[in-house]
Amino acid sequence: MSEMSRVSRRVVITGAGLLSSLGDDAAALHAALVAGESGIRPITIFPTAGLGCVQGGEIRDFDAAAYLGAERNVRPLDRLSRLVAAAAGRALAGAGWTPADLAGRPEGHEVGLVLGTMFCGLRTIAEFDRRNLTRGPSYASPLDFANTVINAAAGQTAIWHGLTGVNSTVAGGAASGLQAIAQGAELIRSGRADAVLAGGADELCFETFYGFYRAGQLCGSVPATSGGGEFPIPFDARRNGFALAEGAALVMLEEADAAAARGARVLAEVRGHGTAFDSSRGEDDARASRAVARAIAAALADAGVEADAVGFVSAAANGSVRGDRHEAAGLAAALGPRAAGVPAEVPVTAIKSMLGESLGAAAVLQVIDALETWRDGRLPGIPGLEPEPGLPLALAGHSRRAGGLALVDALGFDGVAAALLLGPGEEAR
Amino acid sequence: MTRTPGPLSDGRIVVTGIGAVTPVGTGRAELWASLLAGRSGFSPVRTFDTSRHTVHLGAEIHGFRPEDHVRTLRATRLGRASQLAIAAARLALADAGLDAERLDDPERAGVSMGTTSGEPLEIERFDDAVLAGDLERVGPEFIALYPCHVIAAHVAAELGFEGDNSMIPAACAAGNYAIAHAVDVLRGGRADLMLAGGADAFSRITYTGFARLGAIAPEVCQPFDRNRKGMIPGEGAGVVVLEPLARARARGAVIYAEVAGYGLSCDAHHMTAAHPEGDGSARAMRRALAESGLEPAAVDYISAHGTGTPTNDRLETIAVKRVFGDAARRVPISSVKSMLGHTMGAASAIEAAVCALVVANDVIPPTMNLVEPDPECDLDYVPNAPRERRVAVAMNNAYAFGGNNASLILKKCEAAV
Repeated sequence: MSEMSRVSRRVVITGAGLLSSLGDDAAALHAALVAGESGIRPITIFPTAGLGCVQGGEIRDFDAAAYLGAERNVRPLDRLSRLVAAAAGRALAGAGWTPADLAGRPEGHEVGLVLGTMFCGLRTIAEFDRRNLTRGPSYASPLDFANTVINAAAGQTAIWHGLTGVNSTVAGGAASGLQAIAQGAELIRSGRADAVLAGGADELCFETFYGFYRAGQLCGSVPATSGGGEFPIPFDARRNGFALAEGAALVMLEEADAAAARGARVLAEVRGHGTAFDSSRGEDDARASRAVARAIAAALADAGVEADAVGFVSAAANGSVRGDRHEAAGLAAALGPRAAGVPAEVPVTAIKSMLGESLGAAAVLQVIDALETWRDGRLPGIPGLEPEPGLPLALAGHSRRAGGLALVDALGFDGVAAALLLGPGEEAR
Repeated sequence: MTRTPGPLSDGRIVVTGIGAVTPVGTGRAELWASLLAGRSGFSPVRTFDTSRHTVHLGAEIHGFRPEDHVRTLRATRLGRASQLAIAAARLALADAGLDAERLDDPERAGVSMGTTSGEPLEIERFDDAVLAGDLERVGPEFIALYPCHVIAAHVAAELGFEGDNSMIPAACAAGNYAIAHAVDVLRGGRADLMLAGGADAFSRITYTGFARLGAIAPEVCQPFDRNRKGMIPGEGAGVVVLEPLARARARGAVIYAEVAGYGLSCDAHHMTAAHPEGDGSARAMRRALAESGLEPAAVDYISAHGTGTPTNDRLETIAVKRVFGDAARRVPISSVKSMLGHTMGAASAIEAAVCALVVANDVIPPTMNLVEPDPECDLDYVPNAPRERRVAVAMNNAYAFGGNNASLILKKCEAAV
């Protein structure tokens, strides 16, 4: 191990796959975001009647067979596992990995999977429990039980695609996806893997929706500052919580030389990652902001660059009254005066304004949109933004030109801050 | 991408503290004494009503008082797994001679925890409210207490640890996974001190599921015995203190063992059944050996996953034979689950702690209740009595739903040459 760790191994992204409330195609998702289209709409998959919040970022009309084929039996997979297996299939195909390639990997070089999720199959867990209570143990299905463990989606996806390498699940609230990418990158850097599929997923279900609602975290679950309504607009003066959403998003991480050897298209390089924990868990504003800044500083140090190397920022902000403020202050502290537009601004966006808070998938969707931002040269804005006065960030309601190193930010719900620094791949340079 | 190793990171990571809350005792000394005495922690389940099940035994922790351990946070405002985890973490820190309030740099101290179910009692309460038609009973605490990442967050918040904070819910192999992650964080120079382990609370969801799989033993847990009928689900928490060797030496810490290496793999075969030839588990063991730079013959002890289900113990035996060849018959193997039950996400963390104690003390805890040998399980399982033997290298095996396999190797910490 010690010998392996001394070898400098670079990590690149060679493919991406996603399902979101704004579709399943990265370029189309980016086009929608740049156009200011929103995936946040009234929720249809469970009743929200009587609640002050009715909106969410839902994947409507998900047809598993369209992604996983009609031949194989998808019944053992619950909805979340199907979403992850579908996104994983897209990422593998996009990176040019065929089932034969995956099956033919020699021992020690198998393709791995690291999945970030906050809840995994909570709907399955709750239904299993309630069926046991109402109808008795003999109605609690062992097939469902297999999906009640929090690593179920990672296990199911590995089975579906034949991923026999390292298989791990990371849970860090809305930072899960970024933690998964960081862990995947470390597996490659340390020589434990050459290729790891990494990303995150969570699904909309009544249990999480109602839980967040009762905790006053959803837009509309507490009275808005300016009359009623739902304002899940990040960094906005009127914001009153987030719109809960769902998604599955993964990227293919590969060791740079191995990717080059197989002629893979390089979409990005993982330059550095960092994380920090705020032990006040958001109660102390200064410490919460400091954790954000520490995570970013660690990512910059890991990449061996200074803050002025950052070209644009994809923020985690979701409309949370305090969380957005903590992130803004942390970004400003880490990036210095450029964050606020002095002397040359670092544009900051928050795509949860249109995608909602998709938890495990959220940060990975930010990563994937950063890849598209390089291709397109435009960074999405925050539609309808009326910025909170005094926020020290260069924000905009419309799309702007952007390029250079991408800083992707993530915040968990209980103190975890994470940051990822990405450099453009060959096509975008 | 350049590595920025911390000043005290020399790549060698050691175990300097052990904390555990288990069905057979709380704290390192009590746990170790119970395991060497062959004490088991099984009793009729009290957490919920098992009358509709055909099995009724569990390995619950009785008389646990969270307020004895939780100081900074409010003990009553935590889920049970968090309470158990904090207790184990506090015990491990004290065992390492460390005081959370007096760390040089809390921002370089982290927490890495594993679990199977997180805080299942919170969703069970939610379900009770749904079925009672009384959703008003669900308050803001559900979302504050349920998501599994709160276990690692609660431990870190309790202790003021502000470095890497990770929750790895890799089910019944999660403890090994969490330790492996912590080792990588330390080796990468991203922290100077890590608490790593696993925790799970006794749950009707888990119990019902394993009962439905026919995996729970009605009377006794007897791994590798011909008449074994299953596992006994349990609860608990295990935490180890990990730090770079140079740091441990500099502060004069007692070193139990050094982490030699680990290996992770996935069967990608079946969600709840292991690969029929032990393919994934064999690859995890081989990878751990390769990373440790060790031949199979160098291993002096294997802490088996050893749940006591007919299938697990048979396939684990096959996998060990595949990896160890002739050496398989010479290496002592035992399952402390015969005493502890299966504490789920805590299991492999507690077993890793046991491996550290085996390496430190040169005594192997037994596999209890192994009365009638199984022709298909024909290795040396250290039946029914502890064994004194020099153990320089111990391997800790853990397997989980989802085909997640994790092997961790601990060794005696020899002076650097």
